[in-house]
Amino acid sequence: MTRRSRQAGVGALFLLLSATSAKAHIIGARLGDFYAGAAHPLTDLRDVTLWVALGMLAGSLGASKARPLLLLFPFGLAAGVTSAMALNATSEGVLLAAGALVLLGALLASDLRIPAAALGGLALVLAAMRGAANAAAIGPETNRLLFVVGLSIAGYVVVTLVSAATLAFRGESADARAWRSIAIRALGSWLAALGLMMGGLALAS
Amino acid sequence: MSSRPRLFTAAVVVGVALASPALAHDGEGVAGGLASGFLHPLTGADHLVAMVAVGLWGAQLGAPAIFLLPIAFPLVMALGGVLGVLHIALPAPEMMIALSALLLGAAVAMRIRPPVVVAALIVALFAIFHGHAHGAELPSAADPMAYGVGFVTATGLLHGFGILIGALSRWPLGARVIQGLGATIALLGGYFLFIGAGVAG
Repeated sequence: MTRRSRQAGVGALFLLLSATSAKAHIIGARLGDFYAGAAHPLTDLRDVTLWVALGMLAGSLGASKARPLLLLFPFGLAAGVTSAMALNATSEGVLLAAGALVLLGALLASDLRIPAAALGGLALVLAAMRGAANAAAIGPETNRLLFVVGLSIAGYVVVTLVSAATLAFRGESADARAWRSIAIRALGSWLAALGLMMGGLALAS
Repeated sequence: MSSRPRLFTAAVVVGVALASPALAHDGEGVAGGLASGFLHPLTGADHLVAMVAVGLWGAQLGAPAIFLLPIAFPLVMALGGVLGVLHIALPAPEMMIALSALLLGAAVAMRIRPPVVVAALIVALFAIFHGHAHGAELPSAADPMAYGVGFVTATGLLHGFGILIGALSRWPLGARVIQGLGATIALLGGYFLFIGAGVAG
């Protein structure tokens, strides 16, 4: 064996011994629990449909009524998940989620102009409920602070984007509003229909 | 060319010719998840034509029916869906679905203009049976919630499609085309009813 091949062998051996697992994704690194908190509700249709329904309702009621939700909703999520962790009482709350979806969908479909305080209260209760439901994903090794921050930011982003999109879609001119509000109301009826079936499934299982 | 490259080429050709798409996920063809739920109303011709007829009738009747019917239908359909999920039987659901295509198609073909409440009640009655048929398959789906999202979305889009075609009724020739479509749907409904009665008998 020549000197050069010996050197190459030693180098290869050194590289093999110093190998560690590759972390191609940041989710496996230090901020993993932040992404776990953000991704957990987005992979559950119960959360996605409820958050979208709330964002649509806020957007359909106008910018002034939608604005407080941008703070109230993430705060409610954080409060819900923290309370559930403190009380060690997590629940899927499927029937409650179904009822909330029926209520939000019915409000959208009927085009009922609820006051800002009612919308804010509804958002807080809903957020606290879903926050508590998401607490079930927190394990003993989960960094709780990162998880709560991730969950709250995901809620903020979804509600902000959906309410802004609904507001923009609704438009300003009376002509545009006529058929666009019908489209929003029809989507509301779809969401209420989903809530009814979600409730039926919960009762059946 | 020697025998080995020839054999290799033949093997490659056979391999390519027999290739089929890889299906990494199950739930294909059965009630499973969003795709199955979305395809359920689209692949059942009786559902499909009846949903389009609802949209056509709404467009023909004009406001407020044009938005009342597509808003009311999914809600009442979901009630039927809940009955299906809970396995609460309805009388002759398949016959009622066929009858819905027949009557809704006939209403479009004959330009029947009942009061909005009556039209909504007729549509709501049939919506229960359509929902029941979808809902009965819901618990066996791989992801029941995704299945529900799929079939509600497909149903709504079919209504929208019907309304879009119904916009033709603004022009005299278009109105005739819509009536022709209504007649075709009614004929298909009659055919489904006949087939259903044959099977039942």
